[in-house]
Amino acid sequence: MFDSPKRISSRDVLLLACIMGGAVLLFRHLAQGLNYNWDWTVIPGYIARFDPASGDWRAGMLTRGLYVTLRLSLWSILLALLAGTVMGIWRVSPRPLLRMISGSYVGLVRNVPPLVLIFIFYFFLGDQIMQATGITELSYSLDDSTSPVLSTLFGPMEQLPAFLSGVLTMALFEGAYIAEIVRAGIESIDREQWEASAALGFTRRNQLIHIILPQAFSRSLPPLAGQFISTIKDSSIVSVISIQELTFAGQELMSATYRTFEIWSLVILLYFILTFPCSIIVRELEKRMNSHKGHHH
Amino acid sequence: MTLWKTVSVGITTVLLIMGLSSAVWAGDARQALSQDSALENVLKRQTLRIGFSTFKPWAMKDVNGDFIGFEIDVAKRLASDMGVKARFIPTKWDGIIPALLTGKFDIIIGGMGITPKRNLKVNFSDPYEFSGMSIVANKDVAPGKSSLKSFNNADTRVSVRLGTTAEKAAKNFLPKANILKFNDEAASIQELLNGKAACLVASNPLPENLVKKYPGKLYLPLKSDFTSEPIGFAVRKGDPDFLNYLNNWIRVCNSEGWLEARYNYWFKTEDWKSQVE
Repeated sequence: MFDSPKRISSRDVLLLACIMGGAVLLFRHLAQGLNYNWDWTVIPGYIARFDPASGDWRAGMLTRGLYVTLRLSLWSILLALLAGTVMGIWRVSPRPLLRMISGSYVGLVRNVPPLVLIFIFYFFLGDQIMQATGITELSYSLDDSTSPVLSTLFGPMEQLPAFLSGVLTMALFEGAYIAEIVRAGIESIDREQWEASAALGFTRRNQLIHIILPQAFSRSLPPLAGQFISTIKDSSIVSVISIQELTFAGQELMSATYRTFEIWSLVILLYFILTFPCSIIVRELEKRMNSHKGHHH
Repeated sequence: MTLWKTVSVGITTVLLIMGLSSAVWAGDARQALSQDSALENVLKRQTLRIGFSTFKPWAMKDVNGDFIGFEIDVAKRLASDMGVKARFIPTKWDGIIPALLTGKFDIIIGGMGITPKRNLKVNFSDPYEFSGMSIVANKDVAPGKSSLKSFNNADTRVSVRLGTTAEKAAKNFLPKANILKFNDEAASIQELLNGKAACLVASNPLPENLVKKYPGKLYLPLKSDFTSEPIGFAVRKGDPDFLNYLNNWIRVCNSEGWLEARYNYWFKTEDWKSQVE
């Protein structure tokens, strides 16, 4: 970043003091000014609770929501990587039809608000796909106790069709952004690489697989990892289609207990715990990528 | 020339076949209708899928994450009387009708009030419970009121949950008031507690429970509920078989007194409180 010596001037101290003072005032107002009986004692039970009946610890409701968020994000990003890579390659394809298809896809998804897209996709597409592939029918014959592997991977069997609809919706949405990252990555590779590999007799397909994509992907790693963080955050949007993820679990809990502020605070914290380590990894990745800069190979 | 002949003969044949088969279809229409009934599908899948929304004490999660509440009891008994498993699908209230229409579940059992507008989109069974609208007011903002009329003026801010019958009732009974709509119940309650809204319109027992919880802050201006709304099961249109089954099921449960007993347990007592908190 900056190589200037780190100096803290008196103005910085003053500014910091102002910010801290403002924050303290705000919290005091929140604690007293709002007509709200704060009760933090209920919170630990939402994370994990001891069940006296069975004598072991059980995941609380928000933790379960967190599991769903994690599953949703992981499957979505995997699918989105697949869709995004194909579409990204098509964006720079010599064939106009492929360029048109992928261009329309990216243009459509990126210019429609995600909420609208999710509604349309969920109500008009997701269900039809689930019905046509027979997943909906299949989910009735499955039970959590009889299919532990599936339950671990995809969550409760009861919500499987909805969950997969959610995954597809998210993947479609994030795929458009990944397609652009992939396209930028491919276009950032020097023309000489194409020419040299063509001279060696590679077909276009082999050029992509062996020469271009590996370099493009290693260059795009930081933005791809950043997109993964975005996916985790965007996954809260699918609470509107009643996928039982963290935000939805929080809202359900609020309608049952009316502990609005405590639950929102906890939800914020849980999202942060999920995404912050990812941000650190992204930063490390970028450092590593930039360490090559300035040297010519 | 021969090509033209082939094509025309082909088309004629197709039309003939279609004409003949449609005559057969007409005879099978009744059978097809009963085969298409949600009832048949439920029995085939051995699963009744129930759409509902979290709404205390109609339906909520207990500390173990299992659903409990009046509607949940009703749904469980309905499923067991049909001899199938109950599968609960919690859904946001504002999207619950589209979700039913697109087949995400077979039935809404969620304390849904029967309204003519909703009835245009879905079929309702006979009422299986009646819920009353009540009003709860903030002592500091709107003290000492005892009639609906005293809330019906432009300076009164009324908090309701969006898309509920409470919203309609507020519009009808308090047309002059300034109505604030919230997407979830907790937010509408918070607005009342903060004093930003003078009162909250909602189905009982929420107003009663709120006053029990915050006796220093809130009070009940009205002695009794000002409406009594019929609550029914909502199913997709064009399904007479399922509707017939549900109506008779309600009759049977009513005659046993079972529905009333469950209603009294969830709405008139607080024995279940420990399962939620």
